[in-house]
Amino acid sequence: MQEHTQLTQRQINEDLLDTVLSTPRWWLPATLVAILVFLIGASAFGYMLNKGVGVTGLNRPVFWGFFMVNFVFWIGISHAGIMISAILRLTQAEWRRPVTRAAEVMTVFSLMSALMAAPLVHVGRPWRADLWVFPYDFARGIWVNIRSPFIWDPSAVMTYLTASTLFVLVCLIPDLAVIRDRTKGWVRAIYSILSLGFRGTPRQWKLQTVAGILLSALVLPVFVSVHSIVSWDFAAQIGPEAWHSTIFAPYFIIGAIHSGVSAVATLMVIMMWVFKWDKYITRDHLDSIARLLIIVATTWFFFFFLEWVFALYTLEDPEIAMRDLQVFQWPWSGMFIVFLITAYFFPVPMWLFKKVRRSLFWMFVTTIAVNIGMWLERFLIIVPGLMRRGHFIFDWGSYHPSIIEILMVAATFAWVILGMLLFTKVFPLIPLFDVKEGMVFRDEIKIGRRTIPASIRE
Amino acid sequence: MVDSRDAVQKYLIGRHLEPRGSRFFIVSIILSVLTIAGIVGFVLRFQDGFGQGDLWGYYVALFAFIFAAAGGAPMVAISTRIAKAHWPRSISRISELFSIVSLFGIILFIPMIWILPDMEDGRRTLWFFGKLNVPSNLPHILTTLGLVSLVLTGLFILWLSLMPDIRFLRDMSNTKKGSWLYNLSAGWIGSSRQWFMQRHRIGILGAFYFMTLIFVHFLIAVDFSMTLVPGWIDALYPVTQAHNSLQVGVATVVLTMFAVRYFGHYQDYLTIDQFRGLGKLMFALSLLWFWFWFSSFIVLWYGAKPSEKSVLELLMTGPYIWVFIAAFVLLFVVPLFTMIWNPLRRSIWGPTIIAGCVFIGAILDKIRIYVASYSVIDQAGLHEIEHVPSTIWPGFADILIWIGGLAGCVLVYMLATRILPVINIWEQKELKLYQVHKKFHRIEVQVLGKPE
Amino acid sequence: MVTTQEKKTEEKWGMVIDVDKCIGCQACVVACQSENNIPVNEEEHFNQRRPIQWIRVERYWEGEFPDVKARFIPIMCQHCDNAPCEPVCPVFATYHNSQGLNVQVYNRCIGTRFCANNCPYHVRFFNFWEPSWPESLKNQLNPDVTVRSRGIMEKCTFCIQRIRRTERESGRDGNELKDGDRALNTACVNACPTDTLVFGDFNNPESRVSKLRKKEMDDHHGRGYKMLDELGTSPNVIYLKKVDKEAKESSTH
Repeated sequence: MQEHTQLTQRQINEDLLDTVLSTPRWWLPATLVAILVFLIGASAFGYMLNKGVGVTGLNRPVFWGFFMVNFVFWIGISHAGIMISAILRLTQAEWRRPVTRAAEVMTVFSLMSALMAAPLVHVGRPWRADLWVFPYDFARGIWVNIRSPFIWDPSAVMTYLTASTLFVLVCLIPDLAVIRDRTKGWVRAIYSILSLGFRGTPRQWKLQTVAGILLSALVLPVFVSVHSIVSWDFAAQIGPEAWHSTIFAPYFIIGAIHSGVSAVATLMVIMMWVFKWDKYITRDHLDSIARLLIIVATTWFFFFFLEWVFALYTLEDPEIAMRDLQVFQWPWSGMFIVFLITAYFFPVPMWLFKKVRRSLFWMFVTTIAVNIGMWLERFLIIVPGLMRRGHFIFDWGSYHPSIIEILMVAATFAWVILGMLLFTKVFPLIPLFDVKEGMVFRDEIKIGRRTIPASIRE
Repeated sequence: MVDSRDAVQKYLIGRHLEPRGSRFFIVSIILSVLTIAGIVGFVLRFQDGFGQGDLWGYYVALFAFIFAAAGGAPMVAISTRIAKAHWPRSISRISELFSIVSLFGIILFIPMIWILPDMEDGRRTLWFFGKLNVPSNLPHILTTLGLVSLVLTGLFILWLSLMPDIRFLRDMSNTKKGSWLYNLSAGWIGSSRQWFMQRHRIGILGAFYFMTLIFVHFLIAVDFSMTLVPGWIDALYPVTQAHNSLQVGVATVVLTMFAVRYFGHYQDYLTIDQFRGLGKLMFALSLLWFWFWFSSFIVLWYGAKPSEKSVLELLMTGPYIWVFIAAFVLLFVVPLFTMIWNPLRRSIWGPTIIAGCVFIGAILDKIRIYVASYSVIDQAGLHEIEHVPSTIWPGFADILIWIGGLAGCVLVYMLATRILPVINIWEQKELKLYQVHKKFHRIEVQVLGKPE
Repeated sequence: MVTTQEKKTEEKWGMVIDVDKCIGCQACVVACQSENNIPVNEEEHFNQRRPIQWIRVERYWEGEFPDVKARFIPIMCQHCDNAPCEPVCPVFATYHNSQGLNVQVYNRCIGTRFCANNCPYHVRFFNFWEPSWPESLKNQLNPDVTVRSRGIMEKCTFCIQRIRRTERESGRDGNELKDGDRALNTACVNACPTDTLVFGDFNNPESRVSKLRKKEMDDHHGRGYKMLDELGTSPNVIYLKKVDKEAKESSTH
């Protein structure tokens, strides 16, 4: 990194605890709007609960629609947290420091959104879904069917949610202790319980660091398994031919990383705009994440290419018919073009320019574009895949979402925003201790006339 | 350990120019004899003609293995350079030198042009033969082009990274002006422009090498095995093969590193750091191997179409089940349960033994895939496998070919190390610039510079 | 008490459908609707693409205008031995019973619709709405068949209620199950005017379905085929292709 503003610890505390210790003026209106949208979605869900799944746009060939698309989308977004935190922590990439917390928190809330989007809502009888997600129904004497990907799914997502929540909490402890020391009364009491008596002794620091590293290592297999399993919800099936592809697991994972890391970049830009934290999240950080994104996006595109090549390789009618539907039939063709442009051909050439990588506005636009594209990608996999223009022309049909589905999907977005807003009010969104640690490790060496940034290694 | 930059240069060049002992020559002679035995084996096999595809399975497996190992090994240098890590500096040359072994592999490829039937047999191909107007030997053409450009790129990267070293070598030894080694340094004077160009060329060519590697393994995987097995539709398989190449490439580098450390006495440069770093990489790659394999397997197994069942039987549960189990254990189970253990990873012998396991596992994996694929070559035009043939055991000729092929690779590599310095000198000198020891509170720490 | 151990072999119920005889009259469809308490499919249901038809007669046109031929093929649940719908259900709502039937347990179903997506034959139906009948039809509901609430999957059961009732009665009277017994046959089979559909026990070598299978499946000149055989689902419904001198080929259509 080229910028080397050394900040004092006092200034770091003041800057980063600003949101917690005082409330910005826009915070309450923004929160209220998010709550409102969420409540509208909840009412839509209540209506659906009362009337039945008939109020959605789902129909006979297309049994899964918007909810499943959103489930996959949110699971994808949730992969960013671990990607940024765990992998970059294990590879000791210095630029991760200010963004880890935001990414992890986004993971937790988007996982909750994913759970809301599909399993709890989209089934025919949601009031019995607990028998499936928590199968402790001894009275029936039947265990769940562990052969079903839908059993692997909740297990993986719940494990991931638990692990990433723990991850956030472990990384929060030192910061909570800082807040505890700066509050009074009952607020202080709550923070002192939450900070688990952290006083910053060397032993406590060591335990906290070891816990962080262990959790990153342990959460990585979970992170890979979650989206693989989500992909097997589709790939294990032989009904919709186009889904039955071995590449689905890596393809979904890399797609998830693509959309997740883009979402983190969006979040960084928003944090720089809204909280004016540009001393902590600098343009260098944006530059690094954009370079990472070029690699991720290109790998994703390679898998996308392979998926297509081997779909055509089969030369089987249902498969070809589905591809024809995706590419040549309106409205899917329009979506396909938008998807290709927004997911790859617009952002990646843009990121090749250093000016774009270091511009808040353009990074915002390109990363939002990626997520529009990746959302469409899931839509184009699920809906045309299910339309199955194959053997039985009696069952050809299309799908468009109903207003109820759209409202409920909007609620999942509102939920994540609401969660982030509430989080910033209670906890610092940039890890104080991590930033301070980075300052300590940062050093420079002089070679001839040049100064080169360096970092301390044991 | 020597300290100043000039001392490093002097020491390393001195080590390189040391005369090799008699052991070196004895080993070279043994390897040459074995290589000739391999040629004899090839001639024996050749008497059966190229027509019978199922006889050539072991030969194809050897070719695929050598390209996996020798093609994947330079990626160790390329990827770690892109990541700007410092510990792999001393192994970058060891890994880049494998491009010369790839050049040797090209010779092995030449008979493959006749072994692989053209697309007239009506098999499913990537190239839509019969639907598009493509020549029926398009796979042969494309694979040849891919392999040649892979090897050329590898050699070019090797040359670029050699230029400063050859200049050092030229200055410090009595290499005659006009000899080919002298010319290799191509007027290198070490101007900042030359350094700039060299770094950028290596970076760009490295990225290109990686893409070519993936492309070549895509072609080899699809055209030389998957299309021959009717009903085998596995979109992940080319990725698996490219990944497998990286995995066995790292294992090969670890084994070579071990040999260079003990026989070349470079204990100061090839330290536990390097073994541990590559050990971690092997651990990650083993986990990935399992993930890729499982992703393929679960989909085919769950789908359970008759075509998929027979493919699984052919490749895993049927005639080659023990080969598969051995490969599975050596490529995944052993690295997982050993490399997860810190003390073992932080040693010289630990990663070396695991690398040996991975190496053997990869050989078995290639044998499983290619021998099995070539055993159904007569059914290639069908929609699915009609009957799964029984196990094909290696004949005497096959064993000779394998021994000869591997011996030839080792021989080529040994001879290359005789001419070219096996530890990268300029990267060691550069490290001295970036490395500073400082006092931090009460402990001594290392400060490493990370240039932009 | 008659237990299953006293029986010689368990039945394996199956069906043979002679496409050549099908005239597309839809009698089977109506019979199925009324036997199995399927809600009336109104126009609105078709517009929403949510009709429930446990058996459907698909109609395909062949040829150009003046020379057009209609082709009919009745499709219902194929009761596959390796049913793709079974392993994907998280709550065991669909499973294979010992008589070769693919059964749906309505009480267990939570409506993930996973099974319906994975069914290559598109014969699983989801209750998007609470079922309702016009007042005049309320008294015709079959008391032997559950009325399915909204939010669950349903599909052809091979009229398991008729099989069970006949078994019960024959057990009480001490009779063997008779092949082709109208009380045992599914509603669609009884309603078919042209004897297109034949229902019976594949494990009984004397049954009509077994004889038809032996004749049509084993012989090179047989007309028998299984729908989407390449998927390896091994259905228990055998189709006999149309006998048509002008027909180019048999197909799954």
